[in-house]
Amino acid sequence: MNYIPVNEQDRKEMLDRIGVKSIEELLALQIPESLRAKKLNLPEGLSEQELSALFKNYAGKNKSNLVCFRGAGVYDHFVPSLVDEITGRSEFSTAYTPYQAEASQGTLQAIFEYQSMICELTGLDCANASMYDGATAVAEAVLLAVRTSRKNKIIISSGVNPEYLSVVETYTKNLDVEIIKIKIDEKTGALDKNVLQSMLSDDIGAVVVQSPNFFGVVEDMLSLSETAKNKNALFVTIVNPASLGILKTPCEYNADIAAGEGQVFGNRMHLGGSTFGFLAVKKALEWKIPGRVVGQTVDKNGKRGFVLTLQSREQHIRREKATSNICTNAALNAFAGCVYMACLGSSGIKELAETNISKARYAFNAIKKLEGFEPLFANSLFFNEFVFKTVKNVKKIEKALLKENILGPLNLGAFDKKYKNCLMFAVTEKRTKQEIDKLTDILNRA
Amino acid sequence: MNVPNELFYAKTHEWARKEGKKVYVGITDHAQHEITDIVHVELPEVGKKFSKSQPCAVVESVKSAFDIYSPVSGTVVEVNEELLSSPEIINQSPYEKGFFFVLEIENENELKELMSAEDYKKSL
Amino acid sequence: MNKLINEIRSNRNTDRVIKCDVPLDIEMDVRYKGQKSTNIPNLSENTLLRHFTNLSRRNYALSTTFYPLGSCTMKYNPVVNEKIAAFEEFSSVHPYQSEETVQGSLEIMYELEKSLCEVSGMDNFTLQPAAGAHGEYAGLLIIAGYFKSIKEKRTKIIVPDSAHGTNPASAALAGFEIISLKSDENGIVSPENLKAVLTKDVACMMMTVPNTLGVFEKNIAEISEILHQNGSLLYYDGANLNAVMGIVKPADIGFDVMHINLHKTFATPHGGGGPGAGPVGVKAFLKDFLPVPVIVKENNKFKISFGDKKKSIGKMKAFFGNFPVLLKACAYIKALGGAGLKEASEQAVLNANYVLSSLKDKVSIPAGSVCMHEFVLSSKGHLGDGVKTLDVAKKLLDYGYYAPTIYFPLIVEEAMMIEPTETESKQVLDEFTDVLLKIIEESVSNPEILHNAPVNTYVSRLNEVEAARKPKLHW
Repeated sequence: MNYIPVNEQDRKEMLDRIGVKSIEELLALQIPESLRAKKLNLPEGLSEQELSALFKNYAGKNKSNLVCFRGAGVYDHFVPSLVDEITGRSEFSTAYTPYQAEASQGTLQAIFEYQSMICELTGLDCANASMYDGATAVAEAVLLAVRTSRKNKIIISSGVNPEYLSVVETYTKNLDVEIIKIKIDEKTGALDKNVLQSMLSDDIGAVVVQSPNFFGVVEDMLSLSETAKNKNALFVTIVNPASLGILKTPCEYNADIAAGEGQVFGNRMHLGGSTFGFLAVKKALEWKIPGRVVGQTVDKNGKRGFVLTLQSREQHIRREKATSNICTNAALNAFAGCVYMACLGSSGIKELAETNISKARYAFNAIKKLEGFEPLFANSLFFNEFVFKTVKNVKKIEKALLKENILGPLNLGAFDKKYKNCLMFAVTEKRTKQEIDKLTDILNRA
Repeated sequence: MNVPNELFYAKTHEWARKEGKKVYVGITDHAQHEITDIVHVELPEVGKKFSKSQPCAVVESVKSAFDIYSPVSGTVVEVNEELLSSPEIINQSPYEKGFFFVLEIENENELKELMSAEDYKKSL
Repeated sequence: MNKLINEIRSNRNTDRVIKCDVPLDIEMDVRYKGQKSTNIPNLSENTLLRHFTNLSRRNYALSTTFYPLGSCTMKYNPVVNEKIAAFEEFSSVHPYQSEETVQGSLEIMYELEKSLCEVSGMDNFTLQPAAGAHGEYAGLLIIAGYFKSIKEKRTKIIVPDSAHGTNPASAALAGFEIISLKSDENGIVSPENLKAVLTKDVACMMMTVPNTLGVFEKNIAEISEILHQNGSLLYYDGANLNAVMGIVKPADIGFDVMHINLHKTFATPHGGGGPGAGPVGVKAFLKDFLPVPVIVKENNKFKISFGDKKKSIGKMKAFFGNFPVLLKACAYIKALGGAGLKEASEQAVLNANYVLSSLKDKVSIPAGSVCMHEFVLSSKGHLGDGVKTLDVAKKLLDYGYYAPTIYFPLIVEEAMMIEPTETESKQVLDEFTDVLLKIIEESVSNPEILHNAPVNTYVSRLNEVEAARKPKLHW
């Protein structure tokens, strides 16, 4: 297929106007012969019909639409049709970054509404227009904390999602930043504030905690934040937005920075990308935040409008002194998050959280009754994810579930030998009682 | 262009005004005019030491950002926090209300190395 | 009409969340339980559909208008690719599914990697970076990792002054110092200027070819030689790859590392700011430094490999990359084929030169009268009293066009950077050129209408100064 709308006659007229005989001549005027490439060794192009068939064929090689009890950072939540309808509109999807504000009010207002909802959700004052994903949002939050505190030592919880920890490591390894990990307690799966207390000193810039953490355990954010603040460290929190309809929000425990993965709001799993990361800060940090930010203003006639603002922080102006190198972000994914939040509204967001926790508790209680399954952190609070240790063969379990089109729990032993035979289950609102019962039944028989 | 006689000037368009051991620092009328509408400043920390010509603050318009260099060596003893919420003061009153910070000067001779009003005018 | 979503009055939303078919079980210790409720309105579905549809009408987009945004390659985004990317077989898979259950997705990524290798001449690619700047950052970390592995201390990176701002910003993030290299009078890098700044501690030079003026760096072979003699590497910023597919391969002309903006050259929609994808290609000697995981093919099966963990720079983002973007780029390459890609680049060059030839007598073209896929004009001295490039851009909006990139590159005064792309017809280009020339005339005969522009957009010119001085960043 070919998407060029210029025919041979047009081409000839265009070449005449330019005053050359061929495109080849135009190229030869500019590129030394010795640098020219040989013919591309790629197959011939395809018609639309052939292309669709080819990708249908690829699609058939995936085992998809499984009943999903797997999470660990990416979750199977329901996506309302309205999200696809709106984000699929080409007026949104085929626009560029809104450099010309007057011709981009749709995108700009949409981002402003997204920022506003993230502020509502976290209770913080300023959210940027999005980061690439949760992991990079966390890495940027760490760099932001270093800039703001003017201290280069950051304590980060080992309960943070390992994908995020890896990205933080990548982002900081060539900079003058020291990442200090604090272990979670092996019995509770949560951080111990006394341990944190003992690690804090005046040269620690920030403490970074995820709650619910990678293992699903909800941390005591009030105490941890207070402990960090007592030593003048910033408190950076990584939150699952789906949990904020029931758990304490970042502002309630006085967090300075909140970051996280937005996939749970209106974005499909898609092998883990594209999603969006969110980043929100207190007012005092607004000029230090990385990435695009949309602000409200007025036009010449006093009419309300929206623009990209605080731009002198950014790479296109500040170059090597910018707060980040980010340019393209995840605008359309964040917009999906915006439409999703609007679809649910405050009451729906609360309901979502309550349904998640209720179903997860139902599943937890059912599995706990099974022989051969012990909860890893029996007395800790969880939201929609929890870990069981089993004496059964985890490979056999996975196989048995897959046979019934169930994507079972994540085998944590594959990540860390310490968690051999530990299975992490995620139960979202999308799972029905019937599906949970079936899961339990197969686990029992495996 | 307003270039008060009693001040000292740096090539990079900062001015310095001596008051005893203290030196007030800001940007010139010419500089604020060239930068156009100032929307934000970053000020140094009180207590921080700077040597002459070291970048110590940033002044920003909608589409640009410029480093401010310390005209003399010294320790920051005061910053003009009003600029943080009302940066337009720099456009309105670059030599008075729009000063950036105050240094405790180390070596008074450094002031003499700066330009006089007349020389600065000529340099524009 | 101009309501924000929180200003729409309604007390009822459409029931969205599935009924909880297990007993509600939400008790928890007060230490954990949130007390504050969020102020997000509860609105019905039809209210929301109307709200967002109306917002969409306030956008100029590629699907509604010519979008000659220089350096952004706003070419047609094929609709079939959107349809394919939405297949549930792709959208419903979890990143931690086992390899054997995601063979289709892995194969697409593998195919894309191989295709990018062929187009660029590089030996290996990572598909993980989520955007061009993210790719640059990965590429520079790879270079840093390489020098570390051979125990050479190289702390500096040369960036031409015509480069995108992301180049120096990425270099700083990767821990390097930046040397800004002045372009010569033709807007390109001269070997002499390079020699003057080149020192033993230079890790690499970043170059965009053709550069941001739309000029092919004709001294590239000599530049490559000088750098490599010095033990330094050469980085290719793929922002302008659309000019040279099938014409020049970056690896053949001396580049060691590069990124590609799939949302530019490979026609994936930009989404009003993202998502993008910034795959990074390297020559074989840098393969081990690529981020993990990588997709490998063994016995006709696709595997997720964590490669040489010691050398790899680690992860740039979670999981594999922006899969739907990768898929769309792969579909685009499959649709066009090798010959089609070359024709796309050729037509992009022809279209740019055609617009250039119609404008060159009326404005200044600092880089001369031939260009690659884009060109930069300077309106300085050609406009009426007090009229700026910004005013011309705003007036273009009134005529229904999105404006070209303005005030970039920084080395051209009153710059306007025009990139028509290959997917625009001669008629569109003719009409656009006529309008641009008309506006330039109007700037002399009636400058007021340019100062007042735009008047046909949803809002008139917005006050950016107040927006930044008194930031209002949420409702």
